[in-house]
Amino acid sequence: MAAKDSPLKQFEINPISNIELGGYNISFTNSSLAMLITVLVITLFLTLTVNTRSIIPSRMQLISELMYNFIAQLLSDTVGDNGKRYFPFVFSLFMFVLIGNMVGMIPYQFTFTSHIIVTFALAAVVFIGVTILGFINHGIKFFTFFYIPGVPFYMHPLLIPIEVISYLSRPISLSVRLFANMLAGHTLLKVFAGFVVSMPFFTGVFPLAFIVALTGLEILIAFLQAYVFAILTCLYINDAYHLH
Amino acid sequence: MSYKNKNLEELNKKIGNLENKNNEVMSNKKETGAGFGFKISTEIIAALVVGVGIGLIVDNYFNTKPIGLIIFFIFGALAGFLNVYRVMRRIEKQR
Repeated sequence: MAAKDSPLKQFEINPISNIELGGYNISFTNSSLAMLITVLVITLFLTLTVNTRSIIPSRMQLISELMYNFIAQLLSDTVGDNGKRYFPFVFSLFMFVLIGNMVGMIPYQFTFTSHIIVTFALAAVVFIGVTILGFINHGIKFFTFFYIPGVPFYMHPLLIPIEVISYLSRPISLSVRLFANMLAGHTLLKVFAGFVVSMPFFTGVFPLAFIVALTGLEILIAFLQAYVFAILTCLYINDAYHLH
Repeated sequence: MSYKNKNLEELNKKIGNLENKNNEVMSNKKETGAGFGFKISTEIIAALVVGVGIGLIVDNYFNTKPIGLIIFFIFGALAGFLNVYRVMRRIEKQR
């Protein structure tokens, strides 16, 4: 098996046009192309489906409204009335991850969410934004977030570092979850696809059938992970409002 | 329940069947064991990564080679348990 047949080949980044600016390599890569396609798909889909604005919605308009309601409901359930302000942010985050995962499910397409730097950048935006939000809402009192009331005073030197580390680990767990799910799923698909070719006679049919089932599962995971990303963002925004 | 019309009775049965099916689908949608384990393990690993990272930075800065790493590794592990506890509490609340 040469390296070109490796199941990890699909995650390789290839520059489409080389651009260098100030010593930094900012080439337009296949990953950038996938993101561009994702943003175009989202924009076109949402604008084209709701521009008729009929009272009795068509099927496509219904899908858009369903997505809108889904996130609006999520925000009002977790954050409450304050949450409406963050709807554009959470909605774009959700749509970007969801459509990014879905675009990645198309054969020969690149999945940009399978790179940890992409998911970590998204998680870092959420984390830094939420921290700033906490300071805006509570000022210096935000630090009491790490202080647990009702604990003997001699426990605090132990508990406060633990709370701080737990807080700092949020963006890592948020990004690793999405990245690892996509990476594992796509690698598994490729590995089983390799079995289809290498197994003798007609027995390749079995892994092929398995791939079909696995593709369905992958689509479920693609949706589930986008949902998890959105709901955790909502929970973090909620934490920035209500300490404890 | 007694319906005079036979068609209505059939319809009622059909609706009942569909509702049962829906319930089954909903219960199937609950997380798989692997997904659950994955969630828990990422929480622990993330906290450990942060703990070890802080430990290494502290050691580099204050030249206290193994002590910072040891202390913050333990803090990281404890923070991991705290994360798991919080996730479990959230899941329990959802039920």
